[in-house]
Amino acid sequence: MQWKRKDLLGLYDLSAEEITFILDTAAEFKKVSERRVKKVPALRGMTVVNFFVEPSTRTRVSFELAEQRLSADIVNMQAQASSLLKGETLLDTVKNIEALQVDLVVMRHSATGAQNFIADRLKCGVINAGDGAHEHPTQGLLDLFTIREKKGGFKGLNVSIIGDILHSRVARSNIWGLLKLGANVTVAGPSTLVPREFEEIGVRVCHNLKDAVADADVVNLLRIQHERQNNGFFPGIGEYASHFGVKSSTFDFMRPDVLIMHPGPINRDVELAGEVADGKNSVILEQVTNGLAVRMAVLFLVAGCRK
Amino acid sequence: MESYVQLFDAEQMMANVRDLARQIADHIADSGKEFALVGIHQLGVPLARLLHDELVKSGFKVESGMLDITMYRDDIGTRQLLPKINETVISFDVNDREIILVDDVLSTGRTIRAALDALTDYGRPGAIRLAVLVDRGDPEFPIRADFVGCRVSVAPEKKVLVNFEASPELPAGIYSGNWQKH
Repeated sequence: MQWKRKDLLGLYDLSAEEITFILDTAAEFKKVSERRVKKVPALRGMTVVNFFVEPSTRTRVSFELAEQRLSADIVNMQAQASSLLKGETLLDTVKNIEALQVDLVVMRHSATGAQNFIADRLKCGVINAGDGAHEHPTQGLLDLFTIREKKGGFKGLNVSIIGDILHSRVARSNIWGLLKLGANVTVAGPSTLVPREFEEIGVRVCHNLKDAVADADVVNLLRIQHERQNNGFFPGIGEYASHFGVKSSTFDFMRPDVLIMHPGPINRDVELAGEVADGKNSVILEQVTNGLAVRMAVLFLVAGCRK
Repeated sequence: MESYVQLFDAEQMMANVRDLARQIADHIADSGKEFALVGIHQLGVPLARLLHDELVKSGFKVESGMLDITMYRDDIGTRQLLPKINETVISFDVNDREIILVDDVLSTGRTIRAALDALTDYGRPGAIRLAVLVDRGDPEFPIRADFVGCRVSVAPEKKVLVNFEASPELPAGIYSGNWQKH
């Protein structure tokens, strides 16, 4: 196949073939970072704007490094320093960015669909670096890449995602991607954070850690955000940790070859005990490495497709 | 496959391949250095494999690899669609080794320009040579092949196609024509 999208907005929009194509492309970009010269001229002469209306460190750094390794020129914009604070509309801000002959905009925004809105109105490519609780496609892709690398494929694979599914764009991007590629997906956590409605999209909903992890080939843990506690979604961090935190004793009922994943940043000993995060089943740091390769692939494909 | 003419049939093409292998063998035999054949995707890869087989048959010990130059193209963002990135495998030490780049057709020279950039990002080869099965003789860059299987003269707007694998639509051989190569 050939890549034909000027934007990457979410995994919901992509076919299984397109997802596989990105993963295959990323595998070649991963090798670039293993060479002595960790750079290719693919995006030489192109300008990428990293526009983060919602704060981010790891995703922004990963994108920035990916852009540098593709030889792109980079401009970083943050909401605090942008004219959004002066009352300019989002569309006016990005139209002004585009008027500077920019080729790609990597954008994070707290509002669901903000990137879709922008992408429809700009000629340059738009990459979604996270929008509200909607999608975080490059995180989804790097999780898929890591799973494929470790488990060889997705057909019939049991993947359990545990934590605050309700508010998680990472969970949604993972769910769409995994379902398209033929995996069985379980989501688990307190019923306030994992509503039964998720069953309607074809995933198993579970409110008990033991049931969620027993047959899992992959356990992907999401960060529990402390601020949710104040909103009454669960009674306390300690209680969450004792019911849904994965620790050494969880291995009593997990497969010995289970893959432990986490998108970071980890709350040690809340959703994931330190000894498991650092243990032999954990691929958390490999996810970070793979994130770079996946973002290089996405930037390259989107930049190479001009309308 | 609209209109095309066969320049060489399968047998003549393979004779050209063997002749190309002989030229490389003569070069290697004289030098006593470490060598590697590196095929450029797409069709440089099967050609390099054929050449490697010939050289091994003649008792030479040569490393082999394959190179995709898509990340090094000079037309990213100007084409409508990008070609797929194929697998690059350089599993030997490039430093100080003599590398023989292998491609099916030397046309504009732009692919070779990109391949030189790609290869030198893996290290500092002792030397890089170029072997092609077909030399069209009209490069746009100052690039010439060191080893040539055959030379053809084809109008600039026409494509030259090497077909190693016979199919019901197209027997193996070397062709020129107007069709869109994909």
